[in-house]
Amino acid sequence: MKLLRRMFRMHRIFVVQELKRMTEYKSDFIIGIIGFLLAQLTNLLFIWIIFSQIPSLLGWSISQIVFIYGFSLIPKGIDHLLFDNLWSIGYFIVRKGDFDKYLTRPINTLFHIMVEKFQLDALGELIMGVALICVTLPIVGIEWSIAKILLALAVIPFATLIYVGIKTATAAIAFWTKRSGNIIYMFYMVNDFAKYPATIYNNFVKNIITYIIPFAFTAFYPAKYILTGENPLFNIGMTVIMSVILMFIGVVIWNKGINAYESAGS
Amino acid sequence: MRKKLRIYVPFINAGMQETTTYRVNWLFYMFGNVLGCFISYFIWNAVYNSSENSTMNGFTMPQMIVYIFLMFLTSTLVSSGGTYDIGEEIRDGSIAMRLIKPISYNATFLFQELGNKAMTICILIVPMVVGVEIVRFNFTGAVQFNILYFLLYLVSCVLAYLINFFFNICFGFIAFVIKYLWGANLMKNCIVGFLSGQTIPLAFMPEVLEKVFLILPFASLNYTPVMIYIGMYNGTTLLYFLGLQVFWALFFWGLSKLLWSVSVKYLAVQGG
Repeated sequence: MKLLRRMFRMHRIFVVQELKRMTEYKSDFIIGIIGFLLAQLTNLLFIWIIFSQIPSLLGWSISQIVFIYGFSLIPKGIDHLLFDNLWSIGYFIVRKGDFDKYLTRPINTLFHIMVEKFQLDALGELIMGVALICVTLPIVGIEWSIAKILLALAVIPFATLIYVGIKTATAAIAFWTKRSGNIIYMFYMVNDFAKYPATIYNNFVKNIITYIIPFAFTAFYPAKYILTGENPLFNIGMTVIMSVILMFIGVVIWNKGINAYESAGS
Repeated sequence: MRKKLRIYVPFINAGMQETTTYRVNWLFYMFGNVLGCFISYFIWNAVYNSSENSTMNGFTMPQMIVYIFLMFLTSTLVSSGGTYDIGEEIRDGSIAMRLIKPISYNATFLFQELGNKAMTICILIVPMVVGVEIVRFNFTGAVQFNILYFLLYLVSCVLAYLINFFFNICFGFIAFVIKYLWGANLMKNCIVGFLSGQTIPLAFMPEVLEKVFLILPFASLNYTPVMIYIGMYNGTTLLYFLGLQVFWALFFWGLSKLLWSVSVKYLAVQGG
């Protein structure tokens, strides 16, 4: 408990530090957010243009598709906001030997890496995600119950952990290979599959995004439960189980990696 | 002329060595990008299955598949990374090393990048084109490959690359003013991606927008080569779009020269 309090306090210190840096470079901050907003906007235009051709996509209406899309941006955005620094491990921190710094500090290395950076660019995704959910919620006709609201909120941190787990595991590969940025990238790109109903894919792809690189649980399955109320045991329960498994794998690989880490020769 | 070109051979070699050093990384990166094609493929598959028409805005399903994968191939072939390099080199002063040599600044970039691309060209073109043709054969039961369209496609790609190269140099100067290259680049890629038909064929846009977008330089980057390959452009239309590509290539070449001569006057490199 004391440890947890200490971690939260440290997180706050790091965030404040980052915010100070942000006010120093205001235009960077605005450009970053606009960039991510634009990226989402082009995808939405794509969806909108597609639906001008067809009334529904294999039974899904445009508002449902947009709702799923908006929901997918929430865990993605939270991961981007809080845990973006894992990318740097894969791209340069290990390669340049900068990881030594983290080993000399009295904090858990993984925790330190995660809280060190606070990536406000992610607001582009979060704002868009919240906006899309708000716009589509009244149209999609969801039957609400207290249990559903609670489940919908509770599933978000677990969905985020799926991102964190996959990124931790793939970033840690850099401890052996010096560079794993593109491996993180390859796995991370799979998340784009999760923004659309898994029913549009063939079984092979569907099984991969459900059981192997389970990004489908970051968006489609939880969103499907919220929309239809079907099968909470699978749609929500599996999200929780998958996130715990992935986070566990991530931490194990990370700890093994630290033992294998040998600093870059100068 | 031959002697002039020989000066740049080391730059091609350097570019080739750069990519081959990190080839495993390169493969992972490419694989990550190819995934995006498959998402588009599945979405369009679902769209055609949900629609009563087999042709949408002139595209049949096999044509759409060709479009998706060739769009990926084309955008990879014509991509150019000058944006980052120029800004970075001005900032850290290493641009001075290029300036003191009796060679063209832009040409060194161009040749280095051609070396970089050698591997992309070797590894991507053949499997992509063969794959796409197999799909087309499966759908239609006849070989659709047209050597004339393929050659014109390559010509169009070269023109598109030149447009992109000089456009990126121009953008590099602007990006240097903005400073946050990563964010500025993301913004640029989104806008260019959309206007060049990477997100969706321009034929799917409302008619007025389509007409405007076709004239803008971005359509010349990816859309024109792909449409030529699929065989959507014929006769005078084809010549018109190739001519438009030549025009934009010359335009951005001139603009980059202008920006270069203006900014090199103000360039100050501190220390050494």
